[in-house]
Amino acid sequence: MKWSLRMILIMAMVLVAVVTSVGFTQEKVTLTVQDYYGSVNDNGRFIDEMAVEFEKNHPNVKVNHIDIPFAQYLPTLLQQTLTKTLPDIIMADNPSVPQLIKAGTYKDLTDKVKEWGLENWEDFFKGHQEVTSSEGKIYAFQFTTNSCALFYRKGLLDKAGIANPPETWQELKEDSKKIKEVLGINAFGFDASATEGGTWQFEPFLWSNGGSLLELDQPEAIEALQFLTDMVKEGYVSRDVVNVSSQGDPTQWFINGEIPFMVNGNWEFGWQLTEDVMQQLGDVHVAPLPVPEKGKRIIVPFGGECFGISSNIDPAKYDLAWEFLKLLVSSDNMLKLNTEGDSGLPTRASVAKEILGTKPILKVFLEQAQYALPRPLMGGMDKYPDVSSFVWVAIQKALTGVATPEKAFKEAARNIQGLFSPEDYEKYKQLARTLLQEVSER
Amino acid sequence: MKASYKLYFFLIPALMYQLIFGIYPLIYNFILSLKDVNLITYMGGTSQWIGLSNYVQTLKDTVFQRAFFNTLVFTGLSLSFQFIIGFLLALLFNRSFPLKGLLQSLIMVPWVLPIIVSGSFFRWFFSDRGMVNGFLLSWGLIDKPIPWITSQALPIFSVTMANIWLGIPFSFVLLYTGLRAIPLELFESAEIDGANWWQKVLFIAVPLLKPVIITTLTLGCILTVKVFDLVWIITKGGPGEVSHLLSTLSYSLAFDKFQFGKASSVLVIMLLLTIGLTIFLNSIRAKEESSIG
Repeated sequence: MKWSLRMILIMAMVLVAVVTSVGFTQEKVTLTVQDYYGSVNDNGRFIDEMAVEFEKNHPNVKVNHIDIPFAQYLPTLLQQTLTKTLPDIIMADNPSVPQLIKAGTYKDLTDKVKEWGLENWEDFFKGHQEVTSSEGKIYAFQFTTNSCALFYRKGLLDKAGIANPPETWQELKEDSKKIKEVLGINAFGFDASATEGGTWQFEPFLWSNGGSLLELDQPEAIEALQFLTDMVKEGYVSRDVVNVSSQGDPTQWFINGEIPFMVNGNWEFGWQLTEDVMQQLGDVHVAPLPVPEKGKRIIVPFGGECFGISSNIDPAKYDLAWEFLKLLVSSDNMLKLNTEGDSGLPTRASVAKEILGTKPILKVFLEQAQYALPRPLMGGMDKYPDVSSFVWVAIQKALTGVATPEKAFKEAARNIQGLFSPEDYEKYKQLARTLLQEVSER
Repeated sequence: MKASYKLYFFLIPALMYQLIFGIYPLIYNFILSLKDVNLITYMGGTSQWIGLSNYVQTLKDTVFQRAFFNTLVFTGLSLSFQFIIGFLLALLFNRSFPLKGLLQSLIMVPWVLPIIVSGSFFRWFFSDRGMVNGFLLSWGLIDKPIPWITSQALPIFSVTMANIWLGIPFSFVLLYTGLRAIPLELFESAEIDGANWWQKVLFIAVPLLKPVIITTLTLGCILTVKVFDLVWIITKGGPGEVSHLLSTLSYSLAFDKFQFGKASSVLVIMLLLTIGLTIFLNSIRAKEESSIG
């Protein structure tokens, strides 16, 4: 009796072992894709679609799409790196990519790209290539891009007796004066928060005036900050711009008719300025941001996110992850994303050409995209996030009168120089100068 | 012997919890503060020992000095006002009047609201185009908005006001409970002896409440020094880093600038500050207790 009981037990254990091992071999492979798009955003929806398509073609694969809120994104990546729980396919905002490459988050994809065909890589705009590669090795692809322009409410401008949107800083100031006098409201809004958003929205003013993030103590940079500070001092811009929680806050003021002008980006068409909102307002238009004086070119930074593969990926999954990544950035799918969606711009030259004719509201953004500059290359590569944090602090100090623009930027320039060795500083300073020179003359 | 051995066994879960979630992070944080840790060296595991250099840099940093001063102002003002208002409310609610129950629950509202809600509310409340300025402007008391959270000097006081509002229920509940424990006869007999309201408060309520008062202040002090979310939501330590507390400064150093070493050193200093304040308040309590005993 006892013996047979033992026998039954052993057999049961064997059975369990067999069943579970069979179960394991048939278990699906899970690919995790992580980003901060959320599922209401066009990009997020597109990735969900691609996941469904990929699962159809690879029945043994399950694609797990993870959404992390923007503010928590980098801290989460960091934590995942330390605990070795990085997702397989990782998105990051382009200015962070050089830093993540240097920290070893991304896998070197050069061989795979060569297999795929280098013409695919070369189709990406130069700026995007520069952000996602390092020392000749390819680590990621820029998936989408965007930039900032001047949004304006034609109806409000008409009421204030302004015929055309301003093209220069002087015109913006004069128009703002009219708006304040006639309509009694603030004229202009932008993001000056203590985040990358603050630096990013300042860069068009800085660069179009010939200033550099690495030479903030120079007159070109100080003038740009002085201009925005004057706008606040005159009451054309509310001091509240330093406390906005994101670039989406000024859009709320804009929609409510509290400001007729704002700096914002094309992603708004897929977020708050959706088709129905645009129709309801009926008078929203976009123009290039004003330049310091007539004849100067508007130079903006480009935004957008990049996708790459984790350096810690299970080698057995690498091929699958690469297939999925290829799906995300193939020219067909990029065309599909940008034809159907409204929140981003294509990063491949071949796709940009096809989109240009079909979306009039994106014209300004597509045109300035050819002069858009990569932020990391303009501000010390992997040190860009540190550089940027000194810039936004200085902007806030000047706008709120804590320090004069000159004093704020001189202090920031000293701090920024302290981030680099003298040789690196010189190297990056020259790089920024060269890039700026190139686009302003092209 | 055997019995006490068994007793220790029951301590294991609590000890494990303390070790894993209390002691280990503290030690790890201290180690980080002695190393040169940024995003790249952290992820690559290549950070170097640099001794006390993080502390030296931190102490020299004017932003840190400002944050330290801000933390003292924030804690001092929050504690005193929360205590005074909480105490007055407790005295008020110690007698009976109509609608007492309803009003008592309304006082608890700040505690019930999630900080993200009250924080976002205060950001709008204090903004240039917000409610406070709106009222003051429409009553003609000012002709230009007051920069509550958009200037150099005011933001730290504005966030302190928000925190006082948030902390009143805490003081109120503790003091009110203590007050209820005092027998009413004491007040009644004092009344017969001709004591007025002030005398009853000063010579009966306060002395009998002393242990409760000290506990309220000690706990309040610890809770206030570590406030982070409220300030982060209202001003992010800005504009231009003028309203940082030690907690927000440390977060900003760690997760905006990825200077983990420096951020850890700020936290260690913050810990020392809390320990110092607690020892001070405890010593008062010890003195009280020995004088009572």
